[in-house]
Amino acid sequence: MKKYMLKRILFSIFSLLVVVMVVMLLVYTAINRNVIFQQDDVWNKRSNNDKAMYEYAQYQKYGYLEYVDYSSFVKLKYMELYGSDYETQQDFITDRTCIQKEDYKDNPSVKEFAQKYSAQGYKIKYLAPAKFKSGKLKTGGSAYLVAVHELPVTSRLLNYIKGFFTVETTNSVKDETLTDRYIRFEKDPYSKLFAVVGSGTLHKYLLYFDGRFPFIHQNFIHLNLGTSYTTYRGQEITSVISTPTGAMKSFKQQYPTKIGTDEYVETAINFHSLTYNPSTPSASDLEQFPDRYSAYSYHMQGFSMLENSFVIGIISLVIAYALGLPLGILMARRKDGLADKLGNAYIIFIMSVPSLAYIFLFAAIGTKLFGLPYKFANAQVKILAYVLPTISLALPSIGSLMKWMRRYMIDQMNSDYVKFARAEGLSEKEIYRIHISRNALIYLVHGIPSNILACLTGAIITERVYGVPGVGNLLTTAINKHDNGVIVACTVFYTSLSIISLILGDLLLAKYDPRISLSEEGGGGR
Amino acid sequence: MNESVNIPQSSEELFQFIDSNAISSEKIVAPRYSYWKSVFRVFFRKKTNIFMIVVLLLMFLVAFVMPNFWVYDPMENVQNASTFNLSPARAMRYFHDGSLKWILGTGAMGNSIFYGIVASARTSLLLAIICAAINMTVGIIVGAVWGYSKKVDAVMLVIYNIIANVPYILLISVLVYIIGSGFWSFIFALTVTGWLSIAYFFRTQVMIIRDREYSLASRCLGTPVARVISKNILPFLTSVIVTLLATELPSYISMEVFLSYIGVGLSATVPSLGRMIQQGQTAFLTFPWAFWPPVIVASVITIILYLLGQNLADASDPRTHM
Repeated sequence: MKKYMLKRILFSIFSLLVVVMVVMLLVYTAINRNVIFQQDDVWNKRSNNDKAMYEYAQYQKYGYLEYVDYSSFVKLKYMELYGSDYETQQDFITDRTCIQKEDYKDNPSVKEFAQKYSAQGYKIKYLAPAKFKSGKLKTGGSAYLVAVHELPVTSRLLNYIKGFFTVETTNSVKDETLTDRYIRFEKDPYSKLFAVVGSGTLHKYLLYFDGRFPFIHQNFIHLNLGTSYTTYRGQEITSVISTPTGAMKSFKQQYPTKIGTDEYVETAINFHSLTYNPSTPSASDLEQFPDRYSAYSYHMQGFSMLENSFVIGIISLVIAYALGLPLGILMARRKDGLADKLGNAYIIFIMSVPSLAYIFLFAAIGTKLFGLPYKFANAQVKILAYVLPTISLALPSIGSLMKWMRRYMIDQMNSDYVKFARAEGLSEKEIYRIHISRNALIYLVHGIPSNILACLTGAIITERVYGVPGVGNLLTTAINKHDNGVIVACTVFYTSLSIISLILGDLLLAKYDPRISLSEEGGGGR
Repeated sequence: MNESVNIPQSSEELFQFIDSNAISSEKIVAPRYSYWKSVFRVFFRKKTNIFMIVVLLLMFLVAFVMPNFWVYDPMENVQNASTFNLSPARAMRYFHDGSLKWILGTGAMGNSIFYGIVASARTSLLLAIICAAINMTVGIIVGAVWGYSKKVDAVMLVIYNIIANVPYILLISVLVYIIGSGFWSFIFALTVTGWLSIAYFFRTQVMIIRDREYSLASRCLGTPVARVISKNILPFLTSVIVTLLATELPSYISMEVFLSYIGVGLSATVPSLGRMIQQGQTAFLTFPWAFWPPVIVASVITIILYLLGQNLADASDPRTHM
């Protein structure tokens, strides 16, 4: 069993890597990279060499290549030589402007630049000045010298995997003045419980408890799935989907230095989120924080994107199981009766009609007849906004659970053990409850973990129709906006969830039904 | 009483000699059984099936013949803002020509909803039929080999486990990007990996049948692989194939609606139900006539295809032929 699991996990990691590789190939090489400029006004306004330089800058931002501009190279070089007043130095000016002339190659700085970057595998490109016949420069036609390095998929994949996990250590912060470095248990003045507190680490609180989902929080390992380029400029996807939204939530709290006194302030600062602040502390900082950990985020009233999707998903899942299974059993017991016919009509409707159709039908009924809020953002009472999306999401799950429960129940009804149970004189109710349902459930157990984990991926259509700020549309908006970082991050997120749920499903199945053995040589019956 | 019967006199005359026919004596007389004839006999026994077929044929007729006469031009009234978003009654009054064209009102560009639906239904039906044909053929052939050969199984399982993990929407949108969003490239995007799940489903079915006794016996007698697959296994799976078809056909129509809604569907030049629904949904409470008719048409087509397929699958199960 252990050997089997190890093999399985290793294969899962392998297939995850291949999937990321395939997606990176598709996204970065198969799609023509010019599409990112389709709706770019800046690109349309630029011309000649300026346009080309803008393209390089954008390509670097989107992760296609790395490039170094000669002028910034010269700037750095002379900054080291002369300090901050390098700009007035004559040799800086001659070196910087030499590329506008035809004999630019003889300049020592240019030679140094070319030598340095060629050695690193960069290609040196010279954008010759674009001139009219009269010799006057065209707009944006001044010359540039750049070193460009296209990122191959393999190195991109390696970089991506390298940045996947960052582990907090006491040496995470590079600061020589910080001498007292430790990780230890302390009494947490905010939750009145214990917390793991670090110094020299990026976060102050490494493990803490609070009243917010999922109640136990850790900052030891930081997961970085990638950075967004366009949709959430420059933010990490993991923080985009897990940062709470909405208005700030202020309540009575104490600053770390004021603990023990009775000086309370009304603030929304989340003191558990304190991180190391690299800038020199101001006077007010010193008054409020005893150490260099003075950067923070706020307590928010709303849910994060992930929480929104998860709340809707998990409630609808509970509704679906609570309704779908008993209804399926009822249909099987009254086969060909009225309940069976009505249930079948519902199943056929849900299975065959496009999901858009019944979601809108349901939205129209809910808003017109019951006065429920249609768009999430317009809801007066926040909790009512969750009603329609939750029920819309439950509708198809109820249908499919009913269908399969009925099917498996009917298959089981004719088996020998049922006849035997009847011969024993058990009541019909007992037979259905103890014998048939339990055996029919074996088939449905496998899907439970994947259903629960699928709540984390959100629902594309439901969230779009009702305007729920959830994770369901992350991938689709990223695709529409060519946000390569988000596309790769979503792929990793979805793929790992589906792999984990498959493994968990198999384990649960083996646990529920001891006859099933996962490893081949096992041969069940234990 | 015995007048008409000639009673023979001796025992020799009790019997008469008849020419023996070696071939016909070998035959056991039984009512002739034709599989497909029985399937259709059971299928047409249900009157609702006939009704649904008539409705479907009518839809095909309208969808494939009428666009030749009723040319749908979504931009015909784009200059005339007073034709935008007219309700059916107001559209009939405004255009005043008494034709069917305006019977369902106008859309956001003054386009005729009715002509749009007719043209779109053609796209949807064609799309469903072509995609189902390609995916089912490839899926069944690959699935049969995959389920039969253990070597192929080992290789294909690895491929399947990897490809099945790539998000389907991502794959389709990337393909639509690369090859454009015309009708045929959309079909290519839907079929390039669409067969894989069918093949996987079919593989499991084949594996169940493969090790049955009769198939084993046939293999022991040296029947070639191709013949075992085509004669021993596939006929057993006819009802499975038809059930699969019943869910596949409508699923492509739903898929097109879904993809158009999220913005990676067919291009604007191809009229499609998904695009009409997507355009109508923004104001579906204020201009319901632009939204519900395409939704209803899409729903009716998918329900009929699904039900017909299910009933055909029931009829193709020989146990119902009694």
